[in-house]
Amino acid sequence: MADVSQTMEKVSVKESHPFTFKINSGRLILYLILILGAIVAILPFFWMVSTSLMTLGETINRQWLPEVPQFENYSEAWTEAKFAKYFVNSVIITFVTIAGLLTTSILSGYAFGRIKFFGKNVLFALLLATMMIPESVTMIPNFLMIRGDILPLPGDSWLNTLPALTVPFIANAFSIFLLRQFFIKIPDELWDAARMDGAGHFRFLIQICLPISKAPVLTVMIFAFIGSWNAFLWPLLVTTRAVWRPLMVGLWTFVSEAGPETNLLMAGAVITIIPILILYFLTQKQFTEGIATTGLKG
Amino acid sequence: MTATSLSQPQSEKHRRKRIRWIDVKEQLTGYLFISPSFLIITIFGFFPIGYAIYMSTFRWRVVKGDFIGLGNYEKALGDWIGALTFVIGMALLFFAYLVWNSGMKSHSTRSMVLKLLAAFLLIAAGLAIPLGWNRMMTSGDPRFLNSLPITLFYALGTVPAELALAMGLAYILFQKIRGQETFRMFYFLPYITPVVAAAVVFRSIFSPRDSSLANVFLSWFGIPAQKWLFEARPMTEILFGIKLEGFFAGPSLALVSIIFFGIWTYVGYNTVIFLAGLGSIPGDLYEAAEIDGGGKWHLFRHITLPLLSPVTFYLALIAFIGTFKAFNHIYVMRVPSALGTVNTASVTIFDTFYKANQFGYATSQAILLFIIILALTLVQNKVFGEKVFYG
Repeated sequence: MADVSQTMEKVSVKESHPFTFKINSGRLILYLILILGAIVAILPFFWMVSTSLMTLGETINRQWLPEVPQFENYSEAWTEAKFAKYFVNSVIITFVTIAGLLTTSILSGYAFGRIKFFGKNVLFALLLATMMIPESVTMIPNFLMIRGDILPLPGDSWLNTLPALTVPFIANAFSIFLLRQFFIKIPDELWDAARMDGAGHFRFLIQICLPISKAPVLTVMIFAFIGSWNAFLWPLLVTTRAVWRPLMVGLWTFVSEAGPETNLLMAGAVITIIPILILYFLTQKQFTEGIATTGLKG
Repeated sequence: MTATSLSQPQSEKHRRKRIRWIDVKEQLTGYLFISPSFLIITIFGFFPIGYAIYMSTFRWRVVKGDFIGLGNYEKALGDWIGALTFVIGMALLFFAYLVWNSGMKSHSTRSMVLKLLAAFLLIAAGLAIPLGWNRMMTSGDPRFLNSLPITLFYALGTVPAELALAMGLAYILFQKIRGQETFRMFYFLPYITPVVAAAVVFRSIFSPRDSSLANVFLSWFGIPAQKWLFEARPMTEILFGIKLEGFFAGPSLALVSIIFFGIWTYVGYNTVIFLAGLGSIPGDLYEAAEIDGGGKWHLFRHITLPLLSPVTFYLALIAFIGTFKAFNHIYVMRVPSALGTVNTASVTIFDTFYKANQFGYATSQAILLFIIILALTLVQNKVFGEKVFYG
């Protein structure tokens, strides 16, 4: 009863200030701040797109918008600057990485969440500790490893190959942690029932756990996509030729090659951003919520 | 446990055997499941750490040379006594803080004594730090040593600003704003944009041309065009015309441009997380405080801020570590005219490795950076972790 009267009170308070479009100066300032923030956030995107449609002359003596949009800048960047090649490379690298990462981290996440085995906690702690190691420490030994200096590799050196760009990234502590947190919460009754029917861990994982784990799996995929698509430092080291060079490294080499041709450079930048934007708008809700919850849980 | 209940009707001996077998099978399944990821993480995560330590003790330029022990570390730090003095100075600074804090908590005479002790420790730290630093600078590697204050400037320039802005935006968005999700979507865009692409765009925005966005913005306020990313002069000289040397000259304008980029990238991310944190604060707390007659600022100060502190602490920690590891955008936005004033520690390590081909020396620098990050994390945990209020 107390609840009801309280809510009634709230409703009546609200009704005494019915929401109209009468502008309240305090709220107006809040909206102005928010709009200003949004403008700052998207202004660089506007700058990028408008520059990408300008002639070379316009980029030097520039206005806000090009006189006539030069869409051929895009085809020029796509063909002449080999962006088509880099794009295909990035797509392949990203898909191979995601497929590998999902396989390894679903299995490990499940094991750490639901299987009892000796040394589990120690191994899990070790795993989490790897998240603290800066890339600059592991980068140099890994580079030597990929070159085949430390261990003999199949095919001598992995420089300029697909495995060099994917294999080191098909497992990471973060994804395992994320999935473990979800698997551990699946009720034991489900497992008991599955085992009555004669299912083992693998079948239980595939047939019961995965169908109800779409949200965390999608979050892992999104993070893997971003990480792989945006990777720069490592691909820069292991791609000395264009064969497997991904988009980000291609864009960077274009910075030195294009020189003053800012318009083509910006067209290249737009090309690299579009797939991420598509992913973002398709999975927006899962995207932000996944990041927010993983952020909160730490 | 459930295994026992399942096999109850069987004889005692049989049962024990069965449990054993299930247990072994369970164990094996566990190891089998984790083996693919542990294979990869062992090869590319654990092994390199050990190998990096091994490499750092050799003269290693592309190919392995002589064993030189701690020679690489000495080359970076210059002088052990200097380095030790510097570290002691830093530790004294930390102790001064701790003593001052306990002085604030206790009463009258004890408090005075503790505060005096803190002041004394502070003076000692103020002597030891520059003394040690100067000793290191005279014989050490100025490229590496200078990269540390540059990294610190970058961290101090981005982290507090991005957290404050994000908290403000999240707090406003939380006030039943129409179109909250649309705003959130826009704010989040910079974070998901590929860093290299965004940095390429910012190279154009902060270019020294009169028509660059940054200079157009300045011209609205009648400020003459600046060289931005190409400007190696420190901020104190540009703003006030004071010529200072070393640490107190502050960051160069080129570094400040990169700081702007860092803030632009991460404000949205922090806003989203703050927003989620605000959502988890129970609403009746606000109602109770409002009934008690608390104003808006009062509510923010005494309810929102303390209840949000775990989120703030987490974000500060992640952001701080992130700035110390930051590489991609700094590398892309760096131009030769900035004269190395934007070379943070990660960038310097990469140069030592990639440009100068000093593999052994570069790993020793990376390990030093890792030790610094660890120490800072521990200090941050001690200093701010205590202030966190967990519901």
